[in-house]
Amino acid sequence: MSKTAINWQSPETAKRLARRYAAERRFKALGYTAVLLSLTFLAFLLVSMLAKGVGGIDWQFLTSSDSTDPLNAGVWAAVKGSLLTMIVTIVLALPMGVLAAIYLEEFAPKNRWVDIVEVSINNLAAVPSIIFGLLGLAVFINTLNLPRSSPLVGGMTLALMTMPVIVIAGRNAIKAVPPSIRDAALAVGASRVQTVFHHVLPLALPGILTGAIIGMARALGETAPLLMIGMRAFVPAPPGGITDPSSVLPMQIFLWSDEVDRAFVQNTSAAIIVLLVFLLAMNGFAIYLRNKFETRW
Amino acid sequence: MTFSALLILVAGLGLIGWLVAKAKAQKLNTGRGAMHSRPGHHAWNMALWIMVPALIGLGAWSNISPGLVHNAVLADPAAATLPMMDMERNAVLSDAYALAANPNAAVFNPDAQKLVGAVKAAQTKFGLIGALITLLLAFAGGAYGYTKITAGYPARTRVERVVLGVLLIASLLAILTTAGIIASLLYETGIFFSKVSPVEFLAGLHWSPANGSFGAVPLFWGTIFIGAIIAMIVAIPLGLMSAIYLTQYASAQMRRMLKPMLEILAGIPTVVYGYFAALTVAPLVRDFAGAIGVANPSTESALAAGLVMGIMIIPFVSSMADDSIAAVPQAMRDGSLAMGATRSETIKKVLIPAALPGIVAGVMLAISRAIGETMIVVMAAGAAARLSANPFDSMTTVTFQIVQLLTGDQEFDSPKTLSAFALGLVLFVVTLALNVIALRVVKRFREAYE
Repeated sequence: MSKTAINWQSPETAKRLARRYAAERRFKALGYTAVLLSLTFLAFLLVSMLAKGVGGIDWQFLTSSDSTDPLNAGVWAAVKGSLLTMIVTIVLALPMGVLAAIYLEEFAPKNRWVDIVEVSINNLAAVPSIIFGLLGLAVFINTLNLPRSSPLVGGMTLALMTMPVIVIAGRNAIKAVPPSIRDAALAVGASRVQTVFHHVLPLALPGILTGAIIGMARALGETAPLLMIGMRAFVPAPPGGITDPSSVLPMQIFLWSDEVDRAFVQNTSAAIIVLLVFLLAMNGFAIYLRNKFETRW
Repeated sequence: MTFSALLILVAGLGLIGWLVAKAKAQKLNTGRGAMHSRPGHHAWNMALWIMVPALIGLGAWSNISPGLVHNAVLADPAAATLPMMDMERNAVLSDAYALAANPNAAVFNPDAQKLVGAVKAAQTKFGLIGALITLLLAFAGGAYGYTKITAGYPARTRVERVVLGVLLIASLLAILTTAGIIASLLYETGIFFSKVSPVEFLAGLHWSPANGSFGAVPLFWGTIFIGAIIAMIVAIPLGLMSAIYLTQYASAQMRRMLKPMLEILAGIPTVVYGYFAALTVAPLVRDFAGAIGVANPSTESALAAGLVMGIMIIPFVSSMADDSIAAVPQAMRDGSLAMGATRSETIKKVLIPAALPGIVAGVMLAISRAIGETMIVVMAAGAAARLSANPFDSMTTVTFQIVQLLTGDQEFDSPKTLSAFALGLVLFVVTLALNVIALRVVKRFREAYE
């Protein structure tokens, strides 16, 4: 300890402080710039799509199907294909995902098998989507001989991809239900299965559904795995059922973006707007669900 | 009787059984403690006894019966005139099946017409046998279940055992998917490696599947250059600084507004990014390259794809950095501030070093996502496999080649299509390794501060 106190008023310390404060301001500005830059990219992307595509959206575009003539081409076949694919996906992935989440969170014993299940679910959530496409191609199409390019195979492939997302969201939602609820049910004589299905699951359902919708939104925008299973055919009429050849909305965007005719640029951007509106609606609904039903214990 | 009609019938019988059992159990339920299980459980027990054996029987029968129908048709006198060659015979037979299902079906073999009668007869006969077996099983199961509706029967325990089994099967599906991925990739890759040596594949410098050269190093390099270098040069500074600003400087209100907006970036489909990269960013990059004196800049460039991929990854890096900075104990931050350090000094000298393992793990996860990304590179990066460090060159990636090799007309066992599975296996192994390591780092890092 030196006996002379530091002179805070001396020019040197003042200068040093000023330098440190300037560094502080620079750092803060840097952070602000990073956020701003990222959001500028977002705005640039959205505005450029809107500017190019909004003129192409009219009733005719929304109700007609793909065509070689850009003026007559529309998105209805692709929208319907997406819809059918999503129905297959949700019908398979939601029950399976929820049941698996219930098992892992409420009933699973602590042993090596359950560890393997947990590890593989966490890893599946991070596997690149194109790998699921390879799986779909090898198993569903080449081994099981299911119809190529159909919403059935597309939906099954996307369901495998979405299930881990639902399991993880479901487990978090179930974990958030306080143990006192379970204890109360068990105390009045309910079995563990009754406790879970009558009390825990209804309370966890909003959280599970939020996760499921977000997983579905991701599946709706997915293109790569569907390319693998051949959903890139030219489909001039909307599919009649889940085994008909079909296209989906992101695939339509991809196909049109490859067209040489410049007139398809407007169509592509318009289809992107339609897709983004769907995604926005789904995410908005998920946020609404969360805010409306979220319970803080 | 068709499969779906039988399915509905079994479900209907199950419903009837449910109602009957419930009524009987309610009669037995004379008061408190009269029964082991509630009537509802008895009802479910009965429904399960009806439906499970019947469905198992139906499933087994629908696997056996096509073979039986086939044999019956071949044994028919009308089939004696069929060609001996297996392939031709099967073609005629499949036409006959199509005609039996739909009399107006378009077929190539006129012979098929003669067989329609035999096919229909065999199908009716074995269909009826199947229906009988199913119904018999349903009634036998139902009768057995009905005798079990007694006051002492532990219906709840039995039903819940079935429920637990169903839950277990659902969770095993995850293992099944993983095993399916590994098995299908390994199997096809095995066939590929029997035709092309693994050494050539993993170390060869020349990639041109059309001419039979399968050296994948240029693809690996392109993938790393675009996904792990260019994209990360964009995503790490922007993501990290955004996370720091949002967690350390922004007011709560601003954070509530900005964070979801940043996360929109992660929710935009990759095909939209790809289109944006190809249509808007790539020409800008080309013009820029021309302006700084690159000769013959191409529209498809590694830089355009990498830039857009980096933007896509920003929210990912930012949320991982956010989590790891939040996990640093408050005491460390308070200590630094109390010593007179400014906020930026605290961040740079205390928070980031302490959060570094988590941030590094986040970057690894981001890289694993970037190298598996497909649509952006398919639409913006190009098809030329070359070893080059020039970001303005067109460059190709593993995912691009998988798409390229597997779309369009293909025969399934050429080395060309099989090589796509080998590339997929490499991609799977690398992303898996990155994830496992990253998750382990994160776990150890969390434990260090708990």
